[in-house]
Amino acid sequence: MKINQKDLASGILLVLVAVVGAYLNMDHNLGSARRMGPGYMPLLVFGIQGGIGVLVLLIGLFNGPDPMEKWSGVDSKSLVAAVFGGLIAWQLSLRLGGDFFTSGYNAMGFGMMIGFFIMCWAQGWRLMGFVCASLCVFALLLEKGGLVLATVGTVVVASLADTQHVKKPLGVAGLTIFLVALCWWIFIKQLDIRVAVWPQF
Amino acid sequence: METLLANLGHGFVVAFSFQNLLFALIGALIGTAIGVLPGIGPVATISLLLPITFGQPATTAIIMLAGIYYGAQYGGSTTAILLNLPGEISSVVTTLEGYKMARNGRAGAALATSALGSFFAGTVATILVAASGPLLTSVALSFGPADYFSLMLLGLIISAVLAQGSVLKSVAMVVLGVALGLVGTDVQTGQQRFTFGVPELSDGIGFVSVAMGMFGIAEIILNLEKPEAREVLSAKVGSLFLTKEEFRRATPAVLRGTILGSVLGILPGGGAALAAFGAYMLERKVSKGRHLFGTGAIEGVAGPEAANNAAAQTSFIPLLTLGIPANAVMALMGGALIIQGIQPGPRMVEAQPDLFWGLIASMWIGNVMLLVINLPMIGMWVKLLQVPYKYLYPSILIFCCIGVYSLNNNVFDVYQTILFAIFGVICNKLKMEPAPLLIGFVLGPMMEEHLRRAMLLSRGDPTVFLERPISASMLAIGAVVLGAMLLPNLRKGKDAALSG
Repeated sequence: MKINQKDLASGILLVLVAVVGAYLNMDHNLGSARRMGPGYMPLLVFGIQGGIGVLVLLIGLFNGPDPMEKWSGVDSKSLVAAVFGGLIAWQLSLRLGGDFFTSGYNAMGFGMMIGFFIMCWAQGWRLMGFVCASLCVFALLLEKGGLVLATVGTVVVASLADTQHVKKPLGVAGLTIFLVALCWWIFIKQLDIRVAVWPQF
Repeated sequence: METLLANLGHGFVVAFSFQNLLFALIGALIGTAIGVLPGIGPVATISLLLPITFGQPATTAIIMLAGIYYGAQYGGSTTAILLNLPGEISSVVTTLEGYKMARNGRAGAALATSALGSFFAGTVATILVAASGPLLTSVALSFGPADYFSLMLLGLIISAVLAQGSVLKSVAMVVLGVALGLVGTDVQTGQQRFTFGVPELSDGIGFVSVAMGMFGIAEIILNLEKPEAREVLSAKVGSLFLTKEEFRRATPAVLRGTILGSVLGILPGGGAALAAFGAYMLERKVSKGRHLFGTGAIEGVAGPEAANNAAAQTSFIPLLTLGIPANAVMALMGGALIIQGIQPGPRMVEAQPDLFWGLIASMWIGNVMLLVINLPMIGMWVKLLQVPYKYLYPSILIFCCIGVYSLNNNVFDVYQTILFAIFGVICNKLKMEPAPLLIGFVLGPMMEEHLRRAMLLSRGDPTVFLERPISASMLAIGAVVLGAMLLPNLRKGKDAALSG
């Protein structure tokens, strides 16, 4: 037996989604074949998906070996820390953070950002952590902070992902100024999207 | 024939308006740029620019987006020939013979062959789209819901079969895409499905978020993992003129590539990349210079380059006539049309003649522009390669952010994109192809609607799918295609063709 870890994981993922989906689908009326209710198609889709998932899983037991990238101890620890840290940050900011965090998705976004920053602690997650965190920074800053601040925050955080940038902060500064000017010219001057340019108080 | 000419004439009038010419040029320039740059492809770029097109008239928007797609085919070959670096997946095979030609001092000839071959193929494909559009449309109008359902099912099967890697996993990705498409309000009863009470999800998961997350952001994360290895070399381009001998050898290859590319472009799941691989395999088997392959055979440049451009254009046919996107790029085009309030499908030719014929005419105009953009200005594009990725990716990220946000002026879309970016990375690590998912996601809701309608009309009798001849033949083809992939020989052939 040569186990194909990638196929095995894919199979588990597919089956899991299918089972959860089918469970959630129990709320929906199935109807009949003639008059299909909202639950008919989902049941069909999740049924097929579960079947394929089982097949992928079974075949994955034999068509390997295709091992996945190894996670170091730090990788798994930081992932757990990120999930819990993010959840705690979400709930705390929602309860204690005041108006900003209770409106819209800001508390959730703040939690996600904290989680992604914790992930960056591990070498294996650094790139994904910084790139995703930079998107969170954008979403958090845009509406209250305006386009300029959001662009600066996003570009700076995203640049942390590349180790070459960390050594040369001047390049990042130049890039940031260039992008702020470019985004202002394209999105505000030319396309006139409805977004504040400067911070709103 | 006369109506065809009259219609094309109308199309040229539309395409020659200042605004449409300008945006065809912008599309061609952006397309060439992303074609030259490795690491960013047409899917990511078009989803990035989608929000920008909202303010424009539909025709202008589609003309620009189409320019990006076929422009990328021209640009991709430049770096493939000069630097042995495919800017696009569709130009991977061009590196094989093109770079050898460049090392033999015939870079100019290879570039000229690729540009002229692409131009010829583009012209033929334009005529093909114009001629087959109205023809297929009239056929499509006789389609019932059962036929549509089977046609879409066939499209999904072929797109899964032709995707890279395991067929079974690609089918699974298609189904996963259909499942994602279920989220939102049920059209017939108004019931919320899988929305978890989130109001933003009642219109379904944002298509741009899925595309941008899985193709744009995930790609950036994966590109950053690989160390940057870009050999900046000042290759001598040399004379752009072909010798008589080269011209004599390239011509039949261009013709074969054009025919093969046009056919493979129309197939669901096909498109530029598949056409280029197919044409390369064909040239290696049948061309007169096949013994020269591996040493810089001009046929190995001419065939694939003609094929990828022909396919990039004919892949519009299923979208414009049947409303069914053949590949991920076309799914985005369909999305752009729907956002503009135009339902792609057989009624579009009648209802939107400006858009249909204007787009076709602009394809030809765009090809002329690309010829000019690419041949004399080749040095400028090579310079573009000197921009390091560390400056490119923050720029792409910020454009993604603003683009996604301005879709609905809602930060929820940005968070949604993050989730799909992570999902895209996971899929890549597990060797699950994202392209079939996108097609399933787009076709899923349409399939459900047609399935429900067909079953209502047949009073719950599923044999309707086998009784209607169109539907039955679609299903039969689908079954044969799936069955054929179980044969080990064919599968090996496909793997060899797709991995280059």
